[in-house]
Amino acid sequence: MARKRGRGMAACWYGIARTAAVDRAGAWAEIDDGGSAKIITGVTEIGEGILTVLAQIAAHEMGVKPEHVVIGDNDTGRSPEAAHAGASRQTYMIGNVVALASREARKRLVEVMADVWDVEVETIRTGNGEIWAENTNHRISMGEAVTFAKGRGVVPVGSATFGTDTTGLDPVDGSGNPWQAYVFGCQVAEVEVDTVTGEVQVLGVWAAHDVGRAVNPQGVEGQIEGGIVQALGQALMEDYELKDGHTSTSGFAKYILPTSLDVPRVNSIIIEDPDPIGPLGVKGIGEPAMVPTIPAVMNAIYDAVGVRIFDLPATPEKVLMAIRAKEREAAE
Amino acid sequence: MVDLRLEATVNGRKISRTAKPHQRLLDFIRDDLNLTGNKEGCGAGECGTCSVFVDGVLMKSCLLPVAKAQGAQIDTIESLAKTGELSVLQKAFHKAGASQCGYCIPGMVMAATAALRINPFADREEIKERLGGNICRCTGYQKIFDAVELARDVQNGRLPATALLETDTEDGEVIGKNVRRIDAPSKVSGKLKYAGDMTMPGMLHVQVLRSPHAHARIVSIDVSAAEAMDGIEGVVTSADVPGQDGFGVFVHDQPVMARGKVRYVGEAVAAVAAEDAMTAKRALAAIKVVYAPLAPVFDAEEAMRPGAPVVHDYAPDNITKHIPIRVGDVEKGFAESDLVLEETYSTQAIEHAYLEPEAGLSYVDPDGVVVVVSPSQNITHHRHMLARIIAKPISKVRFIMSPVGGGFGGKEDMIYQGMLALLAMKTQRPVRLVFTREESIISTAKRHPSRTTLRMGLMRDGRIRALDMRMVCDGGAYGLSTEGVMRKAAILAAGPYVIPNVKVDTYGIYTNNTPSGAFRSFGALQTAFATESHLDIAAERLGLDPFQIRRINAMRDGATTHTKAKLGTVSLTRALDAAEKASGWEAGSPTMRGGTRGDLAHDDVRPAVSLGARFAADGKGGKQEAAE
Ligand code: FES
Ligand code: FES
Repeated sequence: MARKRGRGMAACWYGIARTAAVDRAGAWAEIDDGGSAKIITGVTEIGEGILTVLAQIAAHEMGVKPEHVVIGDNDTGRSPEAAHAGASRQTYMIGNVVALASREARKRLVEVMADVWDVEVETIRTGNGEIWAENTNHRISMGEAVTFAKGRGVVPVGSATFGTDTTGLDPVDGSGNPWQAYVFGCQVAEVEVDTVTGEVQVLGVWAAHDVGRAVNPQGVEGQIEGGIVQALGQALMEDYELKDGHTSTSGFAKYILPTSLDVPRVNSIIIEDPDPIGPLGVKGIGEPAMVPTIPAVMNAIYDAVGVRIFDLPATPEKVLMAIRAKEREAAE
Repeated sequence: MVDLRLEATVNGRKISRTAKPHQRLLDFIRDDLNLTGNKEGCGAGECGTCSVFVDGVLMKSCLLPVAKAQGAQIDTIESLAKTGELSVLQKAFHKAGASQCGYCIPGMVMAATAALRINPFADREEIKERLGGNICRCTGYQKIFDAVELARDVQNGRLPATALLETDTEDGEVIGKNVRRIDAPSKVSGKLKYAGDMTMPGMLHVQVLRSPHAHARIVSIDVSAAEAMDGIEGVVTSADVPGQDGFGVFVHDQPVMARGKVRYVGEAVAAVAAEDAMTAKRALAAIKVVYAPLAPVFDAEEAMRPGAPVVHDYAPDNITKHIPIRVGDVEKGFAESDLVLEETYSTQAIEHAYLEPEAGLSYVDPDGVVVVVSPSQNITHHRHMLARIIAKPISKVRFIMSPVGGGFGGKEDMIYQGMLALLAMKTQRPVRLVFTREESIISTAKRHPSRTTLRMGLMRDGRIRALDMRMVCDGGAYGLSTEGVMRKAAILAAGPYVIPNVKVDTYGIYTNNTPSGAFRSFGALQTAFATESHLDIAAERLGLDPFQIRRINAMRDGATTHTKAKLGTVSLTRALDAAEKASGWEAGSPTMRGGTRGDLAHDDVRPAVSLGARFAADGKGGKQEAAE
């Protein structure tokens, strides 16, 4: 049999947001005319889907529809600091701060309507573009409520800041509190190794990751799928080669990336262990998604053909050499 | 060469324009017709972002001389939603969540459109084959395949058109629902403008002169001839920096352009702003730089040895950062162990390969504010650094984050924004720089290559007694994010396991290689490769199942980490259980049992393909055709 299958697994953990440093983010929110909403925060999409996540969070908190949320401005001259787009921090830091700012904006509107309807603030509910008071017939659209508020001289705005309670590391023993939210995950990989060519195909990956709370499950899956494929690139083919400081891989003809033909079926399992600190329970997924993939694949290669790759990437040449060496050893 | 009169039909409209004979069709479409939906990801026929239809056939427009369009019918991504309504395929991309950064998406939509035109019943494997010429760095392709299958089924009437719509959230609850991405319509239609798609009136084009040496003293730079050239509006070098030069995510050790010496091949030395990019490029050749080569160092371990060439004077030992973690007494732990295993693991440098090469604009606004528009992953920090570099108050520096066509950490470094600001200040005109793919690869950060020695002591029952890891990473010529990468690598090195004795040392080292920096998973990928491989080696030696050995050592609720932080709930065993169950894992020690396992997959895997026996392209554009 020239082609052999095997399976391997690996686990991971990861810290969410800035490491061993205090992280922070700010945001402004407004429930706008017509019942739309405006969120201003200093960061934009890098592809992970944060704008949609923020729209969902703002919609959830203010009771408007996600398609009626406008997000700006990612501009240091016009918007509050949200710090950087990285460290798997967007949903955690910006998501939480947008929730807090949205709550404050909502509170302003709710207070006006409680007064108009002469009901307790606690009885007021919002959702799906409407605002109503429980156990009464009072129910109007958010747009109408904004008109009431403005008629009373109130613009329903809110602002918030969200920071982490973290510390640096001791320079001698490394002790410290680098994050306040941790996630964990585990992946299983199934591979097929061609013992004639050394080619490894990753056919399937089962990826179970804790994200705290999935705001948009499809987006979480997208992060997991993309992360796994990036890790596969490093595991099997990508290599930025340098000789005397000059690269021989300065284009995609030489620098090989995973294509549609290289990718496994990814089966994502989302685990929700809510963060107890932030208002939403969310954590993060961008980076941890790719951490267990490489060892899971290497463990699967071992399972299939009994060779262990210690030196990435596991190119066909390298895998083949290892198989041949093992055969020679067995023959001796 | 004489200009050429081009008559063609573009997106259904007849055009008659002069074009430069050296122009590629892609430039003509993007620059002359201002149709910026299709992108330039590589300029070499390798990525597919520039894919358009020429007389109905999918082609990579970066490979086509504009003359090839004479008399032809050209359709770009803008042709698909001309009335404003997205095509079925575009809607399917929206619905399936198939776009992330979006930079590959216009080309991907074109290729998928071609695929379904060629075979409206294409199955998933054929779809994969037909998209084989288009790279996506973000999505892992799965949701793209889902989208094409969805569009196919709607087009064939197998699914109703309502399958493309937003799933109703009847109760109004929107958290936990697959709300369609709000940015997707702008991406699938090619309407979203990335920095390289933006222009401003009076805008100049920037080109950068880069170092051919890995390590050399700069004896002199003479820009006078370049400055005197027709069409050149400004040339800058480190001499033009008015403030305190230096940027970096942790240490500010990198000058905007090389100052006194160059430390890697591709480092920026000077930058030129001209009326057009060709002129700017020509001016680069007129800049005279005299270098005195210095002894370079290319290996991190070598750089740590006494007497090695010094890359930065402030760090005579070439150590950018060392992070130690200490718990208990590892030597005692090894002495108590039943089994001690030691191995060395190494990982290579890799490139972020975001499909959007770096690009940015800068201008000085009417109030004297220096504005930089770029796909920066850290506008707040960049603003601080640039203010110091150009000696202006924060209120006079403004960063706008343009849509990021993939970052993965690679756009956290302020690698070109400083040059742009200096040129905008010098010329008092808007300036724009768009990197070529080659420039992007040679001059920007990589994932840290690493060499890790790992020693682990275990008890016969599988409990880990001691772990000693030493990882040395090549940080390259500048600090960038090395310090943070070393820190995260160290903190997570021993894995989510309770280990009484831990000693971890991570070292980020200066060399004369391309700098290493932030890259998605930030050091944890390198250490996890070692620790998680090692656990399987141990499991085999101890006759334990891989899940079992991890459960024996797993941190549980309330655990204390290796940095002595106290955890709340720990979801590790939930993740282990879930992956084990979902994969139908058959328990057993990892003894190369692939041949006898009963759990090999069923539906949750893709079919294996054998080289040469993949779906045969029919030559009608299934395989994208290169121009010549
Ligand atoms: S830009 Fe044409 S294929 Fe990459
Ligand atoms: S979405 Fe494909 S490259 Fe980013």
